[in-house]
Amino acid sequence: MVRFKNRYVLCEVVSEDPRCRQCIEDRTLGLAVRDAIARVHGDYGLACCSISFTVKYLNAYTGTVLLRCRKDSYRLLCSALPFVRYLESRAQRYPCFLNTLHVGGTIRTCQKFLIQYNRIELLRLLQNCTTEEERQCIQKSLLSCSLTEEQSQSGDEEEDDGTE
Amino acid sequence: QSNLTVCFSVGYSAVALNHVIDFKEKKQEIIKPVSPSELFPSLPIVQGTSKRIKVLTRLTLVVSDPSHCNLLRSTSANIRLYDIIAVFPKTEKLFHIACTTLDVDLVCINVTEKLPFYFRRPPVNMAIDRGIYFELLYTPAIKDSTMRRYTISNAISLMQVCKGKNIVISSAAERALELRGPYDVANLGLLFGLSESEAKAAVSTNCRATMLHGETRKSACGVVYTVKKPRKVEEEETAVPACKKAKTQA
Repeated sequence: MVRFKNRYVLCEVVSEDPRCRQCIEDRTLGLAVRDAIARVHGDYGLACCSISFTVKYLNAYTGTVLLRCRKDSYRLLCSALPFVRYLESRAQRYPCFLNTLHVGGTIRTCQKFLIQYNRIELLRLLQNCTTEEERQCIQKSLLSCSLTEEQSQSGDEEEDDGTE
Repeated sequence: QSNLTVCFSVGYSAVALNHVIDFKEKKQEIIKPVSPSELFPSLPIVQGTSKRIKVLTRLTLVVSDPSHCNLLRSTSANIRLYDIIAVFPKTEKLFHIACTTLDVDLVCINVTEKLPFYFRRPPVNMAIDRGIYFELLYTPAIKDSTMRRYTISNAISLMQVCKGKNIVISSAAERALELRGPYDVANLGLLFGLSESEAKAAVSTNCRATMLHGETRKSACGVVYTVKKPRKVEEEETAVPACKKAKTQA
Protein backbone atom coordinates (compact mmCIF):
# COMPACT_ATOMS: atom_id res chain seq x y z
CA MET A 1 0.00 0.00 0.00
CA VAL A 2 1.36 3.42 -0.84
CA ARG A 3 0.91 6.12 1.71
CA PHE A 4 3.01 8.81 3.27
CA LYS A 5 4.58 7.77 6.53
CA ASN A 6 4.94 10.38 9.20
CA ARG A 7 6.67 10.59 12.51
CA TYR A 8 5.05 12.32 15.45
CA VAL A 9 7.42 13.84 18.00
CA LEU A 10 6.08 14.49 21.47
CA CYS A 11 7.84 17.27 23.36
CA GLU A 12 7.41 19.20 26.54
CA VAL A 13 8.19 22.89 26.83
CA VAL A 14 10.15 23.54 30.00
CA SER A 15 10.62 27.08 31.15
CA GLU A 16 11.28 28.98 34.33
CA ASP A 17 8.96 31.83 33.54
CA PRO A 18 5.34 30.99 34.30
CA ARG A 19 4.13 33.46 31.71
CA CYS A 20 5.82 31.48 28.98
CA ARG A 21 3.31 28.69 29.18
CA GLN A 22 0.40 31.02 28.55
CA CYS A 23 1.77 32.40 25.35
CA ILE A 24 2.57 29.09 23.68
CA GLU A 25 0.84 29.07 20.34
CA ASP A 26 1.19 26.76 17.41
CA ARG A 27 2.50 29.47 15.14
CA THR A 28 5.16 30.74 17.52
CA LEU A 29 6.32 27.24 18.28
CA GLY A 30 6.41 26.28 14.63
CA LEU A 31 8.48 29.34 13.84
CA ALA A 32 10.89 28.65 16.68
CA VAL A 33 11.44 25.06 15.58
CA ARG A 34 11.88 26.01 11.93
CA ASP A 35 14.36 28.67 12.93
CA ALA A 36 16.37 26.14 14.92
CA ILE A 37 16.41 23.70 11.98
CA ALA A 38 17.57 26.48 9.67
CA ARG A 39 20.38 27.41 12.00
CA VAL A 40 21.61 23.87 12.45
CA HIS A 41 20.96 22.19 9.10
CA GLY A 42 20.74 25.15 6.77
CA ASP A 43 18.46 25.63 3.82
CA TYR A 44 18.50 21.97 2.83
CA GLY A 45 17.44 20.83 6.27
CA LEU A 46 14.72 23.40 6.52
CA ALA A 47 13.32 22.46 3.13
CA CYS A 48 13.40 18.72 3.89
CA CYS A 49 11.73 19.01 7.24
CA SER A 50 9.01 21.39 6.24
CA ILE A 51 7.43 19.08 3.67
CA SER A 52 4.80 17.92 6.10
CA PHE A 53 5.64 19.87 9.18
CA THR A 54 2.84 20.97 11.46
CA VAL A 55 2.16 21.38 15.13
CA LYS A 56 -0.58 18.84 15.65
CA TYR A 57 -1.45 19.25 19.30
CA LEU A 58 -0.67 21.85 21.88
CA ASN A 59 -1.54 21.95 25.54
CA ALA A 60 -0.72 25.28 27.13
CA TYR A 61 -1.35 24.08 30.69
CA THR A 62 1.17 21.26 30.70
CA GLY A 63 3.34 22.56 27.90
CA THR A 64 2.93 19.45 25.75
CA VAL A 65 3.51 19.74 22.04
CA LEU A 66 3.05 17.20 19.26
CA LEU A 67 4.92 17.85 16.02
CA ARG A 68 4.57 15.98 12.76
CA CYS A 69 7.16 15.51 10.05
CA ARG A 70 8.03 13.03 7.32
CA LYS A 71 9.67 9.77 8.24
CA ASP A 72 12.66 10.52 6.02
CA SER A 73 13.53 13.72 7.75
CA TYR A 74 12.60 13.12 11.37
CA ARG A 75 16.24 12.71 12.31
CA LEU A 76 17.00 16.20 11.11
CA LEU A 77 14.12 17.50 13.18
CA CYS A 78 15.03 15.57 16.32
CA SER A 79 18.64 16.58 16.21
CA ALA A 80 17.70 20.25 15.84
CA LEU A 81 15.22 20.31 18.73
CA PRO A 82 17.87 20.78 21.45
CA PHE A 83 18.85 24.05 19.79
CA VAL A 84 15.55 25.81 20.49
CA ARG A 85 16.44 28.39 23.07
CA TYR A 86 13.53 30.75 23.30
CA LEU A 87 10.00 31.34 22.15
CA GLU A 88 9.21 34.71 20.71
CA SER A 89 5.70 36.13 20.66
CA ARG A 90 4.40 39.67 20.62
CA ALA A 91 7.93 41.07 20.78
CA GLN A 92 8.73 39.20 23.98
CA ARG A 93 11.36 36.54 24.29
CA TYR A 94 10.88 33.74 26.75
CA PRO A 95 13.87 31.48 27.32
CA CYS A 96 12.86 27.84 27.40
CA PHE A 97 13.86 24.46 26.09
CA LEU A 98 12.10 21.51 24.54
CA ASN A 99 12.36 18.12 26.13
CA THR A 100 11.65 15.26 23.72
CA LEU A 101 9.48 12.62 25.30
CA HIS A 102 8.52 10.17 22.60
CA VAL A 103 8.68 9.64 18.86
CA GLY A 104 5.88 7.59 17.35
CA GLY A 105 4.52 6.62 13.99
CA THR A 106 0.92 7.47 14.69
CA ILE A 107 -0.94 9.93 16.84
CA ARG A 108 -2.48 7.09 18.80
CA THR A 109 0.83 5.75 20.09
CA CYS A 110 1.85 9.22 21.15
CA GLN A 111 -1.46 9.60 22.93
CA LYS A 112 -0.98 6.36 24.82
CA PHE A 113 2.47 7.44 25.89
CA LEU A 114 1.18 10.84 26.94
CA ILE A 115 -1.49 9.33 29.13
CA GLN A 116 1.05 7.12 30.86
CA TYR A 117 3.43 10.04 31.28
CA ASN A 118 0.73 12.29 32.69
CA ARG A 119 -0.24 9.59 35.11
CA ILE A 120 3.32 9.43 36.40
CA GLU A 121 3.50 13.20 36.60
CA LEU A 122 0.28 13.33 38.61
CA LEU A 123 1.70 10.77 40.99
CA ARG A 124 4.72 12.96 41.45
CA LEU A 125 2.56 16.00 42.07
CA LEU A 126 0.61 14.01 44.60
CA GLN A 127 3.73 13.68 46.68
CA ASN A 128 4.34 17.38 46.71
CA CYS A 129 0.75 18.25 47.57
CA THR A 130 0.22 20.45 50.54
CA THR A 131 -3.50 20.77 51.06
CA GLU A 132 -5.99 17.97 51.41
CA GLU A 133 -8.33 19.21 48.68
CA GLU A 134 -5.54 19.37 46.15
CA ARG A 135 -4.72 15.82 47.07
CA GLN A 136 -8.26 14.64 46.53
CA CYS A 137 -8.51 16.51 43.28
CA ILE A 138 -5.42 14.83 41.93
CA GLN A 139 -6.49 11.41 43.09
CA LYS A 140 -9.79 11.83 41.34
CA SER A 141 -8.14 12.82 38.08
CA LEU A 142 -5.74 9.90 38.38
CA LEU A 143 -8.59 7.48 38.58
CA SER A 144 -10.32 8.98 35.60
CA CYS A 145 -7.39 8.72 33.20
CA SER A 146 -8.40 6.61 30.28
CA LEU A 147 -8.60 6.42 26.53
CA THR A 148 -12.27 6.73 25.66
CA GLU A 149 -13.87 6.10 22.32
CA GLU A 150 -15.67 8.91 20.64
CA GLN A 151 -17.21 9.10 17.22
CA SER A 152 -15.55 11.79 15.21
CA GLN A 153 -14.99 12.40 11.54
CA SER A 154 -11.31 11.64 11.35
CA GLY A 155 -11.65 8.69 13.68
CA ASP A 156 -9.27 10.12 16.25
CA GLU A 157 -9.68 9.11 19.83
CA GLU A 158 -10.19 11.65 22.50
CA GLU A 159 -8.26 11.36 25.67
CA ASP A 160 -9.63 12.21 29.03
CA ASP A 161 -6.88 12.84 31.47
CA GLY A 162 -6.14 15.21 34.26
CA THR A 163 -4.30 18.38 33.50
CA GLU A 164 -2.39 20.61 35.83
CA GLN B 1 20.50 24.62 42.92
CA SER B 2 17.74 25.37 40.45
CA ASN B 3 19.85 23.53 37.88
CA LEU B 4 19.46 20.41 39.91
CA THR B 5 15.72 20.72 40.24
CA VAL B 6 15.41 21.02 36.50
CA CYS B 7 17.62 17.95 36.03
CA PHE B 8 15.45 15.92 38.26
CA SER B 9 12.29 16.92 36.52
CA VAL B 10 13.72 16.07 33.15
CA GLY B 11 14.65 12.52 33.95
CA TYR B 12 18.26 12.10 34.94
CA SER B 13 19.07 9.59 37.60
CA ALA B 14 22.54 10.72 38.62
CA VAL B 15 24.20 14.09 38.48
CA ALA B 16 27.80 15.09 39.16
CA LEU B 17 28.73 18.58 40.26
CA ASN B 18 31.97 19.77 38.84
CA HIS B 19 34.71 21.83 40.39
CA VAL B 20 37.26 23.19 37.93
CA ILE B 21 40.84 23.83 38.93
CA ASP B 22 42.97 25.92 36.66
CA PHE B 23 46.67 26.17 37.09
CA LYS B 24 47.29 29.63 35.79
CA GLU B 25 47.48 31.06 39.25
CA LYS B 26 50.44 30.37 41.42
CA LYS B 27 48.91 28.52 44.25
CA GLN B 28 45.85 26.45 44.06
CA GLU B 29 44.65 24.30 46.82
CA ILE B 30 42.12 21.68 46.34
CA ILE B 31 39.21 22.39 48.57
CA LYS B 32 36.80 19.94 49.94
CA PRO B 33 33.87 19.23 47.72
CA VAL B 34 30.49 20.56 48.70
CA SER B 35 28.57 17.76 50.20
CA PRO B 36 25.29 17.14 48.39
CA SER B 37 23.32 16.92 51.60
CA GLU B 38 24.05 20.58 52.22
CA LEU B 39 22.25 21.51 49.05
CA PHE B 40 19.17 19.40 49.46
CA PRO B 41 17.59 18.31 52.68
CA SER B 42 16.05 15.32 50.97
CA LEU B 43 16.92 14.24 47.50
CA PRO B 44 13.91 14.02 45.22
CA ILE B 45 12.95 10.88 43.44
CA VAL B 46 13.78 10.02 39.87
CA GLN B 47 10.92 10.42 37.50
CA GLY B 48 9.56 7.03 36.51
CA THR B 49 11.26 4.91 39.12
CA SER B 50 11.15 4.88 42.86
CA LYS B 51 14.77 5.53 43.65
CA ARG B 52 16.45 8.67 44.76
CA ILE B 53 18.72 10.67 42.55
CA LYS B 54 22.43 10.33 43.17
CA VAL B 55 24.46 13.49 43.34
CA LEU B 56 28.17 12.96 42.88
CA THR B 57 31.08 15.30 43.07
CA ARG B 58 33.68 15.66 40.41
CA LEU B 59 36.95 17.49 39.90
CA THR B 60 38.36 18.79 36.64
CA LEU B 61 42.00 19.71 36.35
CA VAL B 62 43.01 22.01 33.54
CA VAL B 63 46.60 21.00 32.85
CA SER B 64 48.94 22.85 30.54
CA ASP B 65 52.19 21.72 32.08
CA PRO B 66 53.48 18.31 33.12
CA SER B 67 54.30 19.49 36.61
CA HIS B 68 50.63 20.01 37.31
CA CYS B 69 50.10 16.29 37.09
CA ASN B 70 52.06 15.78 40.26
CA LEU B 71 49.08 17.03 42.10
CA LEU B 72 47.24 13.89 41.18
CA ARG B 73 49.90 11.68 42.66
CA SER B 74 50.08 13.65 45.86
CA THR B 75 48.38 12.13 48.79
CA SER B 76 46.23 15.11 49.48
CA ALA B 77 43.24 13.83 51.31
CA ASN B 78 40.82 16.09 49.53
CA ILE B 79 41.31 14.47 46.18
CA ARG B 80 40.02 11.21 47.51
CA LEU B 81 36.77 12.82 48.49
CA TYR B 82 35.79 13.44 44.89
CA ASP B 83 33.94 10.67 43.15
CA ILE B 84 35.10 11.33 39.63
CA ILE B 85 38.31 12.96 38.46
CA ALA B 86 38.68 14.48 35.02
CA VAL B 87 41.62 16.04 33.29
CA PHE B 88 41.63 18.60 30.53
CA PRO B 89 44.89 18.35 28.57
CA LYS B 90 46.01 21.27 26.53
CA THR B 91 48.91 19.83 24.58
CA GLU B 92 49.63 16.64 22.71
CA LYS B 93 52.13 15.38 25.28
CA LEU B 94 49.71 15.89 28.10
CA PHE B 95 47.01 14.10 26.16
CA HIS B 96 49.36 11.17 25.74
CA ILE B 97 50.28 11.17 29.41
CA ALA B 98 46.65 11.43 30.46
CA CYS B 99 45.60 8.52 28.31
CA THR B 100 48.42 6.23 29.28
CA THR B 101 49.60 6.83 32.80
CA LEU B 102 47.46 9.26 34.72
CA ASP B 103 44.96 7.92 37.17
CA VAL B 104 41.81 9.65 36.00
CA ASP B 105 38.34 8.66 34.89
CA LEU B 106 37.64 11.14 32.14
CA VAL B 107 39.63 13.07 29.58
CA CYS B 108 37.90 16.25 28.50
CA ILE B 109 38.11 17.24 24.88
CA ASN B 110 38.16 20.92 24.20
CA VAL B 111 35.23 22.07 22.14
CA THR B 112 35.57 25.82 22.28
CA GLU B 113 38.53 26.28 19.97
CA LYS B 114 40.37 24.52 17.22
CA LEU B 115 42.38 21.67 18.66
CA PRO B 116 46.11 22.38 18.64
CA PHE B 117 46.88 18.71 18.20
CA TYR B 118 45.55 15.81 16.25
CA PHE B 119 44.41 12.61 17.89
CA ARG B 120 46.61 9.67 17.27
CA ARG B 121 45.52 6.11 17.51
CA PRO B 122 47.97 4.60 20.06
CA PRO B 123 47.12 6.78 23.08
CA VAL B 124 43.41 6.62 22.28
CA ASN B 125 43.47 2.84 22.10
CA MET B 126 45.37 2.63 25.34
CA ALA B 127 42.81 4.85 27.01
CA ILE B 128 40.00 2.63 25.77
CA ASP B 129 41.78 -0.42 27.17
CA ARG B 130 42.26 1.25 30.51
CA GLY B 131 38.63 2.21 30.71
CA ILE B 132 39.06 5.96 30.42
CA TYR B 133 36.27 7.86 28.71
CA PHE B 134 36.43 10.93 26.53
CA GLU B 135 34.09 13.71 27.34
CA LEU B 136 32.37 16.17 25.03
CA LEU B 137 30.45 19.20 26.14
CA TYR B 138 27.29 20.34 24.44
CA THR B 139 26.33 23.61 26.09
CA PRO B 140 28.72 25.79 24.07
CA ALA B 141 27.10 24.36 20.95
CA ILE B 142 23.72 25.55 22.07
CA LYS B 143 24.90 29.01 22.90
CA ASP B 144 27.03 30.12 20.03
CA SER B 145 27.35 29.39 16.33
CA THR B 146 31.16 29.40 16.03
CA MET B 147 31.42 27.16 19.08
CA ARG B 148 29.02 24.83 17.36
CA ARG B 149 31.36 24.48 14.42
CA TYR B 150 34.36 23.76 16.61
CA THR B 151 32.37 21.31 18.69
CA ILE B 152 31.24 19.35 15.68
CA SER B 153 34.61 19.32 13.97
CA ASN B 154 36.46 18.25 17.12
CA ALA B 155 33.86 15.64 17.91
CA ILE B 156 33.95 14.14 14.44
CA SER B 157 37.73 14.00 14.40
CA LEU B 158 37.60 12.18 17.72
CA MET B 159 35.04 9.76 16.32
CA GLN B 160 37.24 8.94 13.39
CA VAL B 161 40.01 7.84 15.69
CA CYS B 162 38.11 6.05 18.39
CA LYS B 163 35.22 4.68 16.31
CA GLY B 164 32.62 5.96 18.74
CA LYS B 165 33.64 3.93 21.76
CA ASN B 166 34.10 5.33 25.23
CA ILE B 167 32.38 8.64 24.66
CA VAL B 168 30.46 10.56 27.28
CA ILE B 169 28.43 13.63 26.41
CA SER B 170 27.89 16.10 29.19
CA SER B 171 26.73 19.61 29.70
CA ALA B 172 28.62 22.49 31.19
CA ALA B 173 25.42 24.26 32.07
CA GLU B 174 25.66 27.24 34.30
CA ARG B 175 21.98 27.98 34.20
CA ALA B 176 18.99 25.70 34.39
CA LEU B 177 17.82 26.53 30.89
CA GLU B 178 20.96 25.28 29.25
CA LEU B 179 20.22 21.70 30.16
CA ARG B 180 18.66 19.27 27.77
CA GLY B 181 16.85 16.03 28.39
CA PRO B 182 18.56 12.67 27.92
CA TYR B 183 16.75 11.82 24.70
CA ASP B 184 17.77 15.18 23.24
CA VAL B 185 21.38 14.70 24.25
CA ALA B 186 21.40 11.32 22.54
CA ASN B 187 20.10 13.03 19.40
CA LEU B 188 22.95 15.52 19.67
CA GLY B 189 25.26 12.54 19.69
CA LEU B 190 23.93 11.70 16.23
CA LEU B 191 25.11 15.10 15.07
CA PHE B 192 28.55 14.36 16.44
CA GLY B 193 28.87 11.33 14.24
CA LEU B 194 27.83 8.58 16.62
CA SER B 195 25.45 5.87 15.57
CA GLU B 196 22.07 5.63 17.25
CA SER B 197 23.00 2.96 19.78
CA GLU B 198 26.37 4.54 20.52
CA ALA B 199 24.69 7.87 21.15
CA LYS B 200 22.26 6.35 23.63
CA ALA B 201 25.13 4.54 25.29
CA ALA B 202 27.06 7.79 25.54
CA VAL B 203 24.33 9.13 27.75
CA SER B 204 23.57 6.07 29.82
CA THR B 205 25.87 3.09 30.01
CA ASN B 206 29.15 4.91 29.48
CA CYS B 207 28.37 7.33 32.27
CA ARG B 208 27.55 4.49 34.57
CA ALA B 209 30.82 2.83 33.69
CA THR B 210 32.64 6.07 34.54
CA MET B 211 31.00 6.13 37.94
CA LEU B 212 32.08 2.58 38.56
CA HIS B 213 35.57 3.41 37.37
CA GLY B 214 35.70 6.23 39.90
CA GLU B 215 34.67 3.87 42.64
CA THR B 216 37.26 1.40 41.51
CA ARG B 217 39.88 4.09 41.74
CA LYS B 218 38.84 4.91 45.25
CA SER B 219 38.97 1.38 46.44
CA ALA B 220 42.13 0.48 44.54
CA CYS B 221 40.86 -2.78 43.13
CA GLY B 222 37.86 -4.13 41.30
CA VAL B 223 34.32 -3.47 42.40
CA VAL B 224 31.96 -6.31 43.00
CA TYR B 225 28.26 -5.76 43.37
CA THR B 226 26.16 -8.43 44.95
CA VAL B 227 22.55 -9.09 44.16
CA LYS B 228 20.15 -10.00 46.88
CA LYS B 229 17.83 -12.24 44.95
CA PRO B 230 15.02 -13.18 47.36
CA ARG B 231 14.45 -9.80 48.97
CA LYS B 232 14.87 -7.21 46.27
CA VAL B 233 16.89 -6.73 43.12
CA GLU B 234 19.82 -4.34 43.51
CA GLU B 235 19.82 -1.49 41.07
CA GLU B 236 23.34 -2.19 39.87
CA GLU B 237 22.26 -5.09 37.79
CA THR B 238 19.67 -3.21 35.77
CA ALA B 239 20.45 -0.38 33.46
CA VAL B 240 19.96 3.02 34.97
CA PRO B 241 17.91 5.20 32.60
CA ALA B 242 20.24 8.13 32.18
CA CYS B 243 23.22 9.62 33.79
CA LYS B 244 24.73 13.03 33.23
CA LYS B 245 27.20 15.47 34.63
CA ALA B 246 26.38 19.07 35.26
CA LYS B 247 29.17 21.53 35.64
CA THR B 248 28.78 24.42 38.00
CA GLN B 249 31.47 26.97 38.53
CA ALA B 250 32.36 26.95 42.16
